[in-house]
Amino acid sequence: MGNFTRDLEQLKRYRENNDRKSREIVKIWEDSISSNIDSLGKEKHIVLEQVCVASIDCCRLNIAQRCIQELNKDFPNSSRIRILESMVYEADENYHKALQILNDIIKQDSTNSAAKKRKIAILKALGRYTEAIKELTDYLKIFMADVEAWQELSEMYINEHDYSKAAFCVEELILHNPHNHLLHQRYADIKYTQGGLENLEMARTYYYQTLKLNPKNIRALYGIYLTTTALLNFQKNVTQKKKDSAMKVIDWTLKQIKKRYSEASELEKDIEEALAALEI
Amino acid sequence: MTADLIVDPQIRFWVFLPIVIITFLVGILRHYVSILLSSQKKVEMQQLADSQLILRARALRENCGHIPKGSFLIRRQAFNKEDGYLMQKRPPVTQNMMTDPSMMTDMLKGNLTNVLPMIIIGGWINWMFSGFITTKVPFPLTLRFKSMLQRGIELSHLDASWVSSASWYFLNVFGLRSIYALVLGENNAADQSRQMQEQMQMTGAASGMPADPKIPFKAEWEALEIVEHQWKLADVEKELLQE
Repeated sequence: MGNFTRDLEQLKRYRENNDRKSREIVKIWEDSISSNIDSLGKEKHIVLEQVCVASIDCCRLNIAQRCIQELNKDFPNSSRIRILESMVYEADENYHKALQILNDIIKQDSTNSAAKKRKIAILKALGRYTEAIKELTDYLKIFMADVEAWQELSEMYINEHDYSKAAFCVEELILHNPHNHLLHQRYADIKYTQGGLENLEMARTYYYQTLKLNPKNIRALYGIYLTTTALLNFQKNVTQKKKDSAMKVIDWTLKQIKKRYSEASELEKDIEEALAALEI
Repeated sequence: MTADLIVDPQIRFWVFLPIVIITFLVGILRHYVSILLSSQKKVEMQQLADSQLILRARALRENCGHIPKGSFLIRRQAFNKEDGYLMQKRPPVTQNMMTDPSMMTDMLKGNLTNVLPMIIIGGWINWMFSGFITTKVPFPLTLRFKSMLQRGIELSHLDASWVSSASWYFLNVFGLRSIYALVLGENNAADQSRQMQEQMQMTGAASGMPADPKIPFKAEWEALEIVEHQWKLADVEKELLQE
């Protein structure tokens, strides 16, 4: 029984941290929960939903179907469960059926954002990217503050090599979450890829900002190095003073990167030593 | 003094405890009745979009320093231009609260679960258990508390720390909140005192009504209009390299 409560707590931790530990979740389900669903108490439904999604992730569709059956006993006709059903069809690559369910849900409740998102995911899975982008932009016209959707859209645009639009989406992300260094880094990456004098300068500034927000971001250091060299090559006739300062920046970044690596390798050595000490 | 005043132990079993149990059970009952009667509020698409729009505009206004100036200007233009997001024309919300039938049923249900039991149970308790001294608070109180703690008993010589049955009922109504939270979980509907507060606010500001989006839109428009873009990243290179 102690095992059971511990497993439940583990599941709760996964839920709260938004961890995608699908294999672990399915394992917990098989080990302890599947045999005593009824003693879950208040958490029953949320745990069932979690296990259902995790098992779909692991392609264990029989587990997912069992969860849906259990949930259906308590909530017949719930749109949330029907979305799970459609996800099972989706995992089974029966996209037509999945889309049918989702369209039904949207017809009933046009504000159901989860169903709309699944629909876009299906379009993406089918490889119909332009359609997916169109759907997603329509979705964002209504759910303007949905950060996840903006992120997805930016990634789709990057796949389509439409960098200026991707940059717009990342700007939106930065507005909603201005202290996340990864967003700044992503923005700089896009600007660097776009190329051109202004964009390169912008990219460099954002790499600096990334480094300021997280001094451990090694990609930002590389980014600064690359953008500075690119800027040097790009401008044909620069003054000597500018050149000097650029060289200084390059030196500085290279030193920083080397320092990072030597620190890291030292750490590795420590670990190796520690492991060696453990060996018999 | 009243130290030698001895209360009949029968009062404990037939007045003191029954009042506690009755108020508690009525609270539980109210919780489940309100669950039964509650109608799921349908969110209007337009309302949803409006609230998200406001959220986005606010994010832009507060964090505009983190994106380049050009990007900020594009966005502000999109929000604030002649037919931008914040200037869109909307049919005015002329629906009266009274003519909207769903509003009416909601109010009726609110009254059914809030006011009616309060009056009925309160009246019944007053009639059934009136005139008893039920308990004594373990500290001395000034005379002003007499009207609060000794409702239904008009004895000028009685010490103010004695509590009458009617007052004991009211103390229970307001004091059982944490017990309900323990039994029914947070956000239960059993607590009368909280709902009374809500009702008070309802009459004041008529909350829950779909407010006219024009007013927050206008405020946001003005705020965006006067925001000055200061790029926070302008000096980041110098700052970093100085270290």
